[in-house]
This record gives sequence, structure tokens and C-alpha cells, in this order.
Amino acid sequence: MPTLAINGRTLTANADATILDAARAAGIEIPTLCWYPKLPIVGNCRICLVSVDGQPKLLPACATKVADGMVVTTESHAAVENRRGVLRLLLERYPAEHLRNGGRARPRNEFEQYVARYGVDPTPLAGRDLPLRSGDERPGDPMIRHDMSTCILCTRCVRACADIQVVGVLDVAWRGEHAEIVVGADGDPDKAGCTWCGECVRVCPTGAIFETLPRQRFTPAQIRSPERVVRAVCPYCGVGCQVDLHVAGGRIARVTSPDIELDTPNQGSTCVKGRFGYDFPQHQDRLTRPLIRKGWVKDGGRWVWNGGQGAERRGGPWQTIEAEGQRSKPGTPPRATGKSVRELPLLERLDMDIRDRVATPPAWYEPFREATWEEAMELTAQELLRIKQARGGDALACFSSAKCSNEENYLLMRMFRGGLGTNNVDHCTRLCHSTSVAAMQRALSTSAASGSMREIEAACDVIFIAGANTTETHPVFGAAIKRAHGRGATLIVADPRRTELAGRADIHLQMQPGTDVALYSAMLQHILAQSLENRAFLAERTHDFEKVRAAVQPYTPERAAKITGVPADVIRRAAETYARGPNTSTLWAMGLTQHANGTDIVTSLLNLMLACGMIGRWGAAMLPVRGQNNVQGASDVGAIPFVYTDYRSVKDPAIRAEYARAWSVPAETLSLKEGLMVTEVVKPESGVRGMYIMGENPIISDPDIAHAEHWFQELEFLAVQDLFLTETARYADVVFPGASFAEKTGTFVNTERRIQLSHRAADPPGQARGDLEILIELSNRLGLPTPHQSADEVMQEIAQVTPSWRGVTHSRLEGAGLQYPVPTADHPGTAFLFAERFPTADGRARFVPVEYTDPVELPDETYPFVMNTGRQLYHWHTGTMTRRATGLDAREPTAIVEIHPADAAALGVTEGDLVRLTSRRNSMVTACRISDRVARGQVFVPFHFREAAANLLTNPVLDPYAKMAELKICAVKVEPVHASAPVPAD
Amino acid sequence: MSAHPTAAREYQPVFLGKTREQLDTILKRYPNKQAALLPALWLVQEARGWISDRNMAEVAEVLALTPAYVKGVVTFYTMYHQHPVGRNFVQVCTTSPCNLCGAEGVVKAFLEHTSARDLGATSPDGSWTVIEVECLGACGFATPVLINDDFIESVTPEKVPELVRKYREGRR
Ligand code: SF4
Ligand code: SF4
Ligand code: FES
Ligand code: FES
Repeated sequence: MPTLAINGRTLTANADATILDAARAAGIEIPTLCWYPKLPIVGNCRICLVSVDGQPKLLPACATKVADGMVVTTESHAAVENRRGVLRLLLERYPAEHLRNGGRARPRNEFEQYVARYGVDPTPLAGRDLPLRSGDERPGDPMIRHDMSTCILCTRCVRACADIQVVGVLDVAWRGEHAEIVVGADGDPDKAGCTWCGECVRVCPTGAIFETLPRQRFTPAQIRSPERVVRAVCPYCGVGCQVDLHVAGGRIARVTSPDIELDTPNQGSTCVKGRFGYDFPQHQDRLTRPLIRKGWVKDGGRWVWNGGQGAERRGGPWQTIEAEGQRSKPGTPPRATGKSVRELPLLERLDMDIRDRVATPPAWYEPFREATWEEAMELTAQELLRIKQARGGDALACFSSAKCSNEENYLLMRMFRGGLGTNNVDHCTRLCHSTSVAAMQRALSTSAASGSMREIEAACDVIFIAGANTTETHPVFGAAIKRAHGRGATLIVADPRRTELAGRADIHLQMQPGTDVALYSAMLQHILAQSLENRAFLAERTHDFEKVRAAVQPYTPERAAKITGVPADVIRRAAETYARGPNTSTLWAMGLTQHANGTDIVTSLLNLMLACGMIGRWGAAMLPVRGQNNVQGASDVGAIPFVYTDYRSVKDPAIRAEYARAWSVPAETLSLKEGLMVTEVVKPESGVRGMYIMGENPIISDPDIAHAEHWFQELEFLAVQDLFLTETARYADVVFPGASFAEKTGTFVNTERRIQLSHRAADPPGQARGDLEILIELSNRLGLPTPHQSADEVMQEIAQVTPSWRGVTHSRLEGAGLQYPVPTADHPGTAFLFAERFPTADGRARFVPVEYTDPVELPDETYPFVMNTGRQLYHWHTGTMTRRATGLDAREPTAIVEIHPADAAALGVTEGDLVRLTSRRNSMVTACRISDRVARGQVFVPFHFREAAANLLTNPVLDPYAKMAELKICAVKVEPVHASAPVPAD
Repeated sequence: MSAHPTAAREYQPVFLGKTREQLDTILKRYPNKQAALLPALWLVQEARGWISDRNMAEVAEVLALTPAYVKGVVTFYTMYHQHPVGRNFVQVCTTSPCNLCGAEGVVKAFLEHTSARDLGATSPDGSWTVIEVECLGACGFATPVLINDDFIESVTPEKVPELVRKYREGRR
């Protein structure tokens, strides 16, 4: 390691470090403009030049490697004079009137700080030779503003977009004094593929590229010096990006991304949802007081229902989701059909109309009255206990929430198990990775990813992605995959759609939906035929491989080609690439899991993975990519019907005793019977008569909504705890106003088992309360001793009953968090698992043979299209949050169906036209988006939109193991809807 | 479908048929697609007379580059037209030696006789665009002029009307 002296201090540095790296490591600051952490070094701004003894010229600290014996002076006379010169030149094209004559006391940005530090006085505007560059070029954009008059051409934005996000919207065009940053070829970011991630905003040192909303809603002073900056975890996907919330006037003014060199999952990046989807907590629709359905009255100390019966019991002045779906729509505004925002006058009236698009209609509140917390609590406790006494605990069920913290999920499951004696506790994992968990439990006795996201970029040679549209659903991870591909990793994508990653992939296995088992079995068959399997791994670490060897024999690539539509040669090439690795990582998501044979599909992929030994090494990761920001955590802390925390069975009396002790209840209180799952609860035969729902909206997310909606109306009692009066909450008896992610402290687990701490930034509005507080009070009222005062205390209890979290405390989670298992207080966490053994009884993985079966519904003459459902970049699940986030909603305001151009032509429809989609269950009307991302004969419908709810159509048939519904495939027909008169775009 | 209003505005790609074949031949000469950017842009300019933003996006897609990168290259070079130019494109050298020999007068004469009026603007009938360029490497034969691909030496203001007449009549 070379030793050098900087400003008289002797330092040692890595051989490949630059002078800048060495200085920064030692806390010596050298000004930089074009340099930025993690960006490629270009060395074009020359502000970092320093003196090095024996060198005739100044050298750029950012681009000069250290050498042994080097003597560096960072603020020599020559270096300082050079810096002044650089700044003076840059200021010639910078609106700097406010920096003249002592105005330098309040620098507004990174660049101006240097101007202030080096005391440079800009030339007055009038005395300049060159005009400023053009100003705001895209007025009215809901998210990002470009004001190139303050650009200093450092090109950080260009590199951030091209090298970190791997998009490439920006570049430098023109020459010499005319040079400037251009957006795509025509100034329109959308056309250039911009994903609105805001990476360019993050890196710009002058604010030439900046967010729109803060400037519309907050003063420059509030933006520059927020009251607080609070570290939180992004409330959207399973990547779990750490974000900093800037608070002004008790509201979130801005979101930035922190500590980029720290080992956070996002390392400074976010996606559009994380950076721009933060204003929903301030939406006018937030519930601020508890609501009680009119008709509940207190009579002699007890609450009794004396409202209407039958259909009126839970009715209201609204249309059912079914009716809304079938109604004709005003069509789709051009923005939603991929046209330029510049053509859209609507956006100039940002605050006026867009925020209200999905606003709760005022009539929805009519069946309710505002209540006190006392009333709401009393009524809820009374009814839950009444139903328990009358019908037993199993007549009650709760849906916990993958959007809520570990502490909250833990308390809710504790309340239902300890207070109400039922294991009917579940959450949306059922409709997410439950089949993965079932398959992984069967094969490996595990329920989470084996590795980390960062190893994909750091150490993986072949990336196999199956049924995951990562760049849209987990964009920050998607960017990491693109970077890995760029640095040479081979990318194989198995997906019926040509997603962005599929388009970039070296091999795209574009199979017929639901034919995965045939595909992976054929890959394995070919691998065995070529003797590419990992013999040593099979012999030492697995069981029962012979069964699978026999089972895959019939699946020759030729036969699989017939089933899947993927040419046999492509299957062979993919198989060989996968097996040769050397380090292959296996990623999958909803495309595999949301099938009625999801467990088998995942199993066949695991068989492939295990046969090649692609697990248990750094670089060979098994990564089921989790959807919600805490779907992993909610399952880990036991919000699923069969297990307590750490996946410990509810059927085991010894385990039960342990929890009974921890909760100070008699052991018999806790049921030994496994509970019902989400998809089983919502069935007449479930026997469930009372429900508590925390932060979920099953009426949009469950398959075959029309049935679900009817079922909820038949309940005896329904309490909902949420931010808004959701489509589900409108049927409730009691609605508790909860807190958003920004209004609570708690922990969340991301897709790589990383437990992270999110802090409270603002207060819940009005009388709304933290979800933890609500659960503590209700648990106590139900007679379950719950002395906890804070999330921290709840975590102490979780750690005590969860062996793999035993070393977790809130204070240890500050910073990058911890990847569990963290068995002891000084354990550093676990980046990857299974290096030596699997957590099965004998430490070996089990092979389970599976057979291909056709999807339950295949297209036929009446229903000729295969409908696939999923998410979009700008929206989240049932849209409760994102459709109330101004910027996000503006980019993707209405429901659509993606349809192949050839199919659209055959139907005689074009972009924005309305079509009616009909499945065997129901029908709904939505607008066309023509896209060749979907294959012919297939349509894709996002499920975010209540007015055209995809789940009206989906098939509720269930996976036999995990009770997952077949959300990904159903047969539909598509018919044009001819509006009688032209309808105005809404 | 063609009756639909959006159909009329639909973009017609450049790289179809013969132009596509030409590009494929060019691509064979280079180690990667990016390297073929300049010739690809020439093909566009040949086919369309100039290079629109939309053309740049097409080139970007065909060569797996970004539209902004292509724009950067197009705008860097002066010989790619970013606006439609006249059928006859006149480039007059006005660098110092030619200037001393009266190049300004030649420029003026062209602007007048072609009715293009302003440098870089296109005449109302769409047939002429006149621009000034740097040294054409024929300083001994001032003032040299490039009309389309023809190199004409020793042009004086007096010879301009005749040249304009010749090219207007389509003789090249
Ligand atoms: S928002 Fe993201 S994708 Fe768009 S230009 Fe900026 S860095 Fe590129
Ligand atoms: S816009 Fe900002 S980041 Fe981009 S070159 Fe200009 S100053 Fe640098
Ligand atoms: S920071 Fe080193 S040259 Fe720009
Ligand atoms: S100066 Fe005109 S040709 Fe060289």
C-alpha cells in the first residue's frame, strides 16, 4: 500500500485509489464538480487540480492515482488560483447576480458553495459576452424541471442516467460555447425512455435539473433548510431503498437518497415512486377521525346495530367495483398512451384536477359518522369478543399488511393469536410469494432469499430471471441488473412479455404463459444429457435427485418447444449457459408464483438450480424478488396462518408454550390448529364472520372481486385500519385512521432479508394515530396484556421469541440495517446463506419431481386471448397510495390494457380506444395501449385501477399447497366499445 | 386502419428496403454498431435531405444507441442538416484568403439570385439554401463554391446568375 503525504499528513491508501479517494478517506476535502461517487471519472471540470511535488503542472485529484512517496498540497497558491479561474469561467454562463457584492453569504447549491468558499465575484450579466443557456424547457412537467440556464456542464446527470440507471436520456450536444445538455433527440424525456427516477436530480450540483413539486408547494428557504431530515425506508417495493425525508411545515417537502457509499440496498438511487411518490400522506382524503357506520348505537352500555338489514346493512351510495368496471369510460388522455407531456394542457393545472382523480367521492362517507377513539375501540372490542364467544375464535380473521412494519404485524398476529385464540392471520403474501415459500420450504426448509441484491452486480456471471419485470416493479434492482449485464454478465430472461430486460437479454425465452414447468424441466433434461449437472453438489448436499432425473426425461427440448413455443435450440443454449455459470443467480417473481400450480412451477425452477449447484456461494444467489416493502417481514414475524415468528409451527405445543409465556397468557389460549389463508377466508364455507383488516384492500387485490365484494358485505363485523376510505373500508363497521410510512417508526425487511429502520418524520393528520398505538390499545381491551410503549420495545419482544433475529435491536439497525439471521447481539448479519448446509433436518436439499399441467383456463373460440395481470412502473397495487401521489398519477392516470399491434388491427382498435374485456367470470371496460411488449394473442392488464379492476376477470382457482390464485392467466375475449359520441378526455 | 386520424401522421422509417440493405452492408465493415453511426446518418440525409429528431431516434434504435447520443453527434458536425435544406445546397468558402478575394460578394450574389435571402434559410420555392463554410482547400482558386456535390472554382459575383440558372434548370 503506497504511503503519501497530503497537506503534511502522512496517509496510506490502496494502490488503485486516486488522490481524491485518499484525501476523502482522511477527511481532507478537495472541491469536485464533475466527479461524483460511483460515476465514471471524466476529469473535465478541472476544479480538483492539486499541486504534487516534482510535477510541473497541477494534477486532477479525481483522476490521478496515488503513488508511493507522493507529496500533495490541495490548497497551494497555484491550485487555489486555478480553482478561482475555473469558477470564474463557469460563472460567465451562470445567472449569478445574487452572488455579487457580498451576496455569497447564502449559497444555494453545491456549485455556489465553492464560489463562496473561493470568494469569486461574477461579472455582471450586462457585461458578459455570452448569453445564458435557455431556461425552463419543459414547463408543466409534474416531476422534473430542466432549467439549463444554471447548467455548468459537469455531465454528472449524463453519466448518472447512462451509467447508474442505464437509461441514457441525456447527453451533451452542440459544440464549444453552444454545448448544452439535451434530452433525447427532441427534448421529450418520455420518448427517450426516461423512467423519472430522478437520479439526474440527485447528482446535479446546481439545481439545473430539479423536482417540480417542492418548488410549487414550498418556499426556496424551506427547500434549502428543512426543519428536519429523517431517514426512512421507501414505502413501495421489496428493494427497500433508504430515503431521506425533508420535513417543512410538518409535511414532507422533498425526498432525497442518502449515504450513497454506505451499504444500503439502493446506494443513493431510488425509482420514480421513491423519489416522487411521497405526497399521498398529505392528500385531502386522509382519514383524520375514526368512523363508525351509522346504525350502531349504544344502548345500556352495549353497542347494538339498529340500522338496515340485508343489502342495506353494508350498502352505500357507491357503485360496486363490478358496476364501475362495466361502465363506459371517458377514454384515455393522451399522456397515458405514451404521448408527450408537452401536448397535454392538463398538467399545467397540476394541483387542481389530477390529485382528485381517485379522490374518495364525498358520498362514500355518508354511511358513516365521525366517532371518538373511545367509541371505535369499545365497539370493535365488544364485537370481536362477542363473535369469539358466540362462534369461537376461528369465526374471526385478520388481514395483516405487507405495508406495515414488523412491529405492527407482530402485534396484530399476537392480538389474534393471544387475544382471540385463532390462527386466522394472513396477508397479501398469499397472492404474492406464498407458492415460492411453499416450494422453498419443501426443498430447502427456508422462506427467504439465499443471497443479496448486491452480489448480482459484484459477482454473478449468469443472471437467470423468470417471470419478473424487474425494471418496472423493482427499478433500483433492475438498474443493478442492467449494470451487471453491462459489465459482462450474461442475462437470460424467461417471460411471455418482452419486458425491458427481456429486450436487453442475451437469451429471451418467450414462452406461452404458464408453461414454465415444461421449460425448466427441458433445460434440466438437456443439462443432464450433456452431463453439465454439478455432481459433487448433488452427491454431498441433496437427496432424491434420481426421482427428478426420471421425471424430466420425457421433457426433451423438442417436446418443450411444442408446449412453450420457445425453439428447442434456444432452450438448449439457455440450459448450457445456466449450467456453465460459473456463478449463476436465479431470480423470480409473480410470473412464476401467481399460478394455480405456482408451487410446482417454483419447484421445477429450484430443481434446475439445485441440479447445477447454483446456491450457497457469493454470486450464485436464489432470489425470489419480493413485492411489498415488508412482505418478507410480515411473514417473518408470523403474520401467516401456520407459523409464529421465524416460521415456527403453530401445531407444536412446545413452541406454543414459548409464545404463551412471552405473551403472559395460558398456553391453551393459543390455538394449535393452522389458520385460514387469505384466499380461503373470503369464501362462504370459511365460517369467518368478523374481520379486522389492517392496511389491505382485498376488494381490489383478490381474484374474482365480484365474489369477494359480496362476501365482505355478508360479514357480521368488519373493522378496517387504513389511511383512506378504500374500496374495502367503505363496507366496514369501524374505520380506524392509521399512519403512513412517514408518520411512524418501525422496521421493514427487504427482499434480501435486510431489516431496516424507518423513522417518524411527521405527525399523522388530525386524530389519526400510529398503527402500533391502535394495536396496543385494542390488544389491551381484548384482554391481552400489551405493556409495550414503542416500536423499540415491541422489537425487543420479537427478538426474544425469534431465534434468527435475536441480535436485533433498533439501535443496531441505524445505517444499513442487518441481514438476518442475526443470532447474537454482536453478529454482523448474513449476506448469503447455505454455504455449508441447508436448514433441513439433515442439512441436505430435497428434490421434488413435478409434472407439467396445462393452465386451468386455456384460450378457446369464445375467449381467445390469454390475460396476464401485473404492475406498472408508476403505480402500486390497488393504487390507494400512488393514485394519490400527484406526479405518479399524472404520468399514468387511467386504466389500460396492453395489446399487440396486430391483434389491435384485427379488432379495429387503436391507441386509447375503449374495449370490453370479458372472462368467464365478469367483464369490464378499459382503454387500449398498443404495445409489442405483449405477444400476439395475449393481453396485459395492470391491477391498480378500481374503475377497470383486472381482478374482476381473474380466476380464483387455487394452488393446492399455497392457496395462491391463478392471477396470471385467464382466458378473455376483447371487443371494441364504440362510444356513441366522442367523449372528452378526462 | 389507414382511415384513422393518427395513421396519417405515422412515421415512415428510413431503414426499410434498399436503405436497410445499404446499412447492413455498412454494418459489416465495422466492429460494432456504434461505429457505423456516421455513415448511417449519411444514409438518412441522402434519403430525406436532412436529419429530423425522429430520424435520430430511429438511428439510435437501429444502432442500439441513445437518441441523445445521436443528437450529440449530429449537432457536433456541421455537415449534417438538422433542418430541411433546398434541393440545391450552396456552400461558399468565406475563410480569410477567399474573403480577401471577395467571397462576401459571392455570398451576397447567391442570396440575391436564389431568393434564399438569409444564410442557412431556404428559398420560398424550396430549391435553394446558401451557407458559408470554412476553407475548402482551394485558396488558390478563390472563391470556391460547393453546389451539392459539385466543386466549382474561381466563382465571382458576376458568374453567379449563370450558375443559379444552370442549377435551377436541374442541370447538375
Ligand atoms: S429521471 Fe432518471 S431516467 Fe430520466 S433523465 Fe433523469 S436519470 Fe435519466
Ligand atoms: S444539468 Fe446539472 S448535472 Fe447536468 S451537466 Fe448541467 S450542472 Fe451538471
Ligand atoms: S472533479 Fe476532477 S476534474 Fe472535475
Ligand atoms: S480560404 Fe477559401 S478555400 Fe481556403
